[in-house]
Amino acid sequence: MTRNFISRREFVRSLGVSAAVLPWITNLPSLGWASQTRRKQRLVIVFTPNGVVPDRFWPREEGEAFTITPILEPLAPWKDRMLVLHGVCDKIRGDGDNHMRGMGCLLTGIELFPGNIQGGSHTPAGWASGISIDQEIKNFLQSQPETRTRFGSLEFGVLVPDRADTWTRMVYAGPNQPIAPIDDPYQMFHKFYGRQKDQRLVRSVLDEVLADLNKVQALVSQEDRQLLEQHMAFVRQMEEQLKAQPDEQPHAVPELEPGVEQENDRMPELTRMQLDLLVHALENDFARVATFQFTNSVGQARMRWLDISEGHHELSHEPDSNEVAQDKLTRINRWYCEQLAYLVKRLAETPEPGGPGTLLDNTTIIWTNELGKGNSHTLDNIPFVLVGNGLGFRMGRVVRLPRVPHNRLHLALAHAMGHYLERFGNPDYCGDGPLVLT
Amino acid sequence: MMAQQGANSPEPQDPQAVQIYQQKCARCHGAEGEGTADYPKPLAGTKSLEELARFIEETMPEDDPESCVGQEAERVARYIYEAFYSPIAQARRAPPRIALSRLTANQLRQVLADLVGGWAAAPAWDDQRGLEAEYYDGRSFRRDKRQIQRRDPLIDFHFGNESPAPGTIGSEEFAIRWQGGLYVPQTGEYQIAIESDNGVRLWLNDMNAPLIDRWVRSGDERLHRATLFLLGGRVYPLRLEFMKFKEKTASVRLLWRMPHRVLEPIPNRYLSPHRYQPVFVATTPFPPEDRSQGYTRGSSVSLEWQQALVDAALQTASFVAENADRLAGTRPDAGDRAERLKEYCRLLAERAFRRPLNAQEQERFVDRPFQLHASPVDAAKQSVLAVLLSPQFVYVNLPWEDSSIEPYARAAQLSLALWDSLPDEPLWRAAREGKTMDAGELRRQAERMVRDLRARAKLGGFVEQWLKLDQMHDVVKDPQLYPGFTPELVSDLRASLDLFLDDVLWGANADWRRLLLADYVYANARMAEFYGWQLPETPGDTQPFVKVVLERDRYAGLLTHPLLMSGFAYTSTSSPIHRGVFVARSLLGKFLRPPPEAVAPLAPDLHPELTTRARVELQTSPTQCQTCHAMINSLGFLLENYDAVGRYRLLEKNRPIDASGRYRQPDGTDVALQGARALAEYLASSDESARAFVLQLFQHAVGQPLAAYGSNTLNELTARFREQGYSVPDLLVEIACRAASLPVATNPALSVAPLPTTTPH
Repeated sequence: MTRNFISRREFVRSLGVSAAVLPWITNLPSLGWASQTRRKQRLVIVFTPNGVVPDRFWPREEGEAFTITPILEPLAPWKDRMLVLHGVCDKIRGDGDNHMRGMGCLLTGIELFPGNIQGGSHTPAGWASGISIDQEIKNFLQSQPETRTRFGSLEFGVLVPDRADTWTRMVYAGPNQPIAPIDDPYQMFHKFYGRQKDQRLVRSVLDEVLADLNKVQALVSQEDRQLLEQHMAFVRQMEEQLKAQPDEQPHAVPELEPGVEQENDRMPELTRMQLDLLVHALENDFARVATFQFTNSVGQARMRWLDISEGHHELSHEPDSNEVAQDKLTRINRWYCEQLAYLVKRLAETPEPGGPGTLLDNTTIIWTNELGKGNSHTLDNIPFVLVGNGLGFRMGRVVRLPRVPHNRLHLALAHAMGHYLERFGNPDYCGDGPLVLT
Repeated sequence: MMAQQGANSPEPQDPQAVQIYQQKCARCHGAEGEGTADYPKPLAGTKSLEELARFIEETMPEDDPESCVGQEAERVARYIYEAFYSPIAQARRAPPRIALSRLTANQLRQVLADLVGGWAAAPAWDDQRGLEAEYYDGRSFRRDKRQIQRRDPLIDFHFGNESPAPGTIGSEEFAIRWQGGLYVPQTGEYQIAIESDNGVRLWLNDMNAPLIDRWVRSGDERLHRATLFLLGGRVYPLRLEFMKFKEKTASVRLLWRMPHRVLEPIPNRYLSPHRYQPVFVATTPFPPEDRSQGYTRGSSVSLEWQQALVDAALQTASFVAENADRLAGTRPDAGDRAERLKEYCRLLAERAFRRPLNAQEQERFVDRPFQLHASPVDAAKQSVLAVLLSPQFVYVNLPWEDSSIEPYARAAQLSLALWDSLPDEPLWRAAREGKTMDAGELRRQAERMVRDLRARAKLGGFVEQWLKLDQMHDVVKDPQLYPGFTPELVSDLRASLDLFLDDVLWGANADWRRLLLADYVYANARMAEFYGWQLPETPGDTQPFVKVVLERDRYAGLLTHPLLMSGFAYTSTSSPIHRGVFVARSLLGKFLRPPPEAVAPLAPDLHPELTTRARVELQTSPTQCQTCHAMINSLGFLLENYDAVGRYRLLEKNRPIDASGRYRQPDGTDVALQGARALAEYLASSDESARAFVLQLFQHAVGQPLAAYGSNTLNELTARFREQGYSVPDLLVEIACRAASLPVATNPALSVAPLPTTTPH
């Protein structure tokens, strides 16, 4: 098995391209051309909390002929571009309760450090002891000039509570280095465009500074005039430099509705704004990797716009027999899926800049969760629903896997992005190498 | 380099060239190139010496260009160039004057902190030390769980597996919150650290976002660090929260690393239990300032500086925009929000310009941005940016528009001299009422202001340069010869010197002479052990440094302080030359030229039989060295009883130390001295060293040459210094008042026609 794996990898290496690209390069004039025209590949990981309602989430069938379920229904138009992975399990154990490990090990695939944060009934725990897969891939892409982007990765959030703990962080730059998602669209916008706006402002002000310097120059002694002359020369030089900088954005800068507060009831608007910014960032190649975190593990969104007044987490503890609660949970998860579908739709409508097709042709979105099921807190059958063709996986099907550790899925993501990791996270769960999804 | 007017003597002149000039050139150009009625243009310019020579050869004298050629043209060109033509010669000949100056980087940061940080008075830095503490029985800060409120002198707790208060608080889980202020004496990068077995988080200055958040304890990490740039002379709000939960042990220490020091628990003397307001800190790095005259001055500009200025202005304008509602005292939904923001911008512009706005400025800096932008926050941002980049803000001594500005200009000069910053509310009020025109009121204001921490920071900056402490950041010694001379010890030495300076500059009976004459040092256990001193009693936990009185005939204040002695020394031997140069320049105010050629010190192992004194005498024996070294060496030898780490010694290489020397006084007579104590007593009673101190402090405080303030000013200030018992804060008050009340007519920068108020834009 290992032999096979290595020889396949070496074959791919000898081509200088990733296996994921193979279906693509067959359409190209020659292989020699391949590395230069290698398409942009993007990965977006969307997180929603508190598990799903399994029988309304998972399609019953396997393979290409499957029936869309109530929760996944908003994705029906892109059924042939979906890949539903059943049987992927978070096998990481150790310190922390399942919500904490579900969150902290979801993208890192490695144990939490011992610590002082007490969850439900398990031992307290600290931060994850390793890097998350999105950051691993980002570092790889940033290490090469042809895949390097302005930010490398972007960490979006929606209503992430303003506290740093194991339940609110899934992205890690390394052991004990959680990265806070930006859940304020205005802050994200400022990250993209703050400086540029400032530069325009500086240019307009510098013009007047010159006039002022000129004015005071007439009033000082001959000796002092020299200093002001020099000052003017440097102001002019700076103006020249500012003029020489081209406007960065090739596409229209999104306009944000002003004054949307960080409040539960504004969650739909905040989500829409953040998703629009994400599409804009991908379109402008600010980053090839992104995460999008709705609330947090044990998140308590109250979806009053769906006539649900209870918090999401408390509802998720209700037993299967509570039909009303299960119905509400289904609607909550479906609402999350609608947000995902909006993102998919936007990507499918946006042409790939400078290339054929659309952004969705070169982007894979992964929708996931820290738990398999809310009331059992299981880490088995963690939802992984993939949409889009960024990674070159074979789409339009349901794959039922024999309880495989999720580390192997992370390896498959890395390999599909051209990063041939042999193991990721806890090596004990990387045994059979990357999942084969092509 | 020391600044000393008249000390910049021109190069020796070529007598023959002078003769040629007088014969062939002076007729039109004047005896010293000043011009004549026929040729009024002074002989000054920017041609190179070569260009000038060729020009003379080809065209001069105009009536007979052939009469001055070849070598003769070259020699006369050199004379003209060096005596009055070149920019350097011009500068040398120019009478000292108050030059147009911009805010220095340090001043800009201080000004910005006072400009946007709110105009309310901060709580005083009184004599209460430590932090307010609240102890909770449980993991959360619930009011009903609060069991103890008290003041903790510093944060250095090792609870082990015990409760901090058995009986009232359980040992399994508890929480503590400390609050107060952190005094930062000196501008720079501070590393702040918490060492703990448990969950901790720390807010410093920004009370909305924690600087360190390790509420989640994770793995074995116990030391959590963060670095931030802080302004000196300011107190920053601080809050530390601690939580123990199920861990076997509990401990927490709050540490810092001051610039160029080692990590240590934050000493009690920097902590206050009062609540302070956040300080706006502009973090933009600036290029180093000009110090070619011996003091920092804002006399030059560069592209790098211009970019830094724009960055700092942007950072400030963005801060104002982000905190607009809080700063302007309004709300996003308030009906009069735009009006409030506009009024805030008007006040800010007025403070920034250090005087009221005229009608044009009101229109340009306030009204127009609010007409241009739909969003009042965007308008405020543009307004602030425009104000901060304006020459009216950047330059500190531009001509006034009319004489009504003078009371404000006085206030501005006073606060710059004392604080490197803007007038505060009471001074501003005095200016508005015209009271700053009154010498008595000006002095009262200065006496009030000199007690502020910003004045301490200003004086601290002076001491740093005066004692060359900025060159003693990494004093390293030969570890074979001096085991125990560690970075920790060097850090202790600096703390010891700071305590001493605080004492003699600001304490009761502050007296400049005690800097020289004091017979004690502050020492902690590590220092006492290294130097073989006896600590008077067990130092307390909170005050590790105590006063140690030393033998009076061996030790003398600053002169023998081990930081200076080891700083002015090589890694394994003393350096009489460095010590002599320090005494000559800093304490006696001598102007010393750099050595005629770069000289490497003679290696001690080449002359193993020689003492340091003998080796230095050998190396500097050539006649061209002796013009300066006769004085330098002799002063340095007086300190030969201190080795490379500042330990007292009687022998070197088994030979008795010879610490005798002579000093030639300004009146030409020699005085024979023996050892550090004699030198200290000589300096403390010498008019020359008092004058040197006054001159240096003046130029540091004001950033202009003292001679430009009148030929008798140094005499008068020195006399006042003596009359006031050599109090340094009183001298600073005197200097600031002098700088602020310079009569208009004598200020060359102001000797131009007033600005017509209707100048079109």
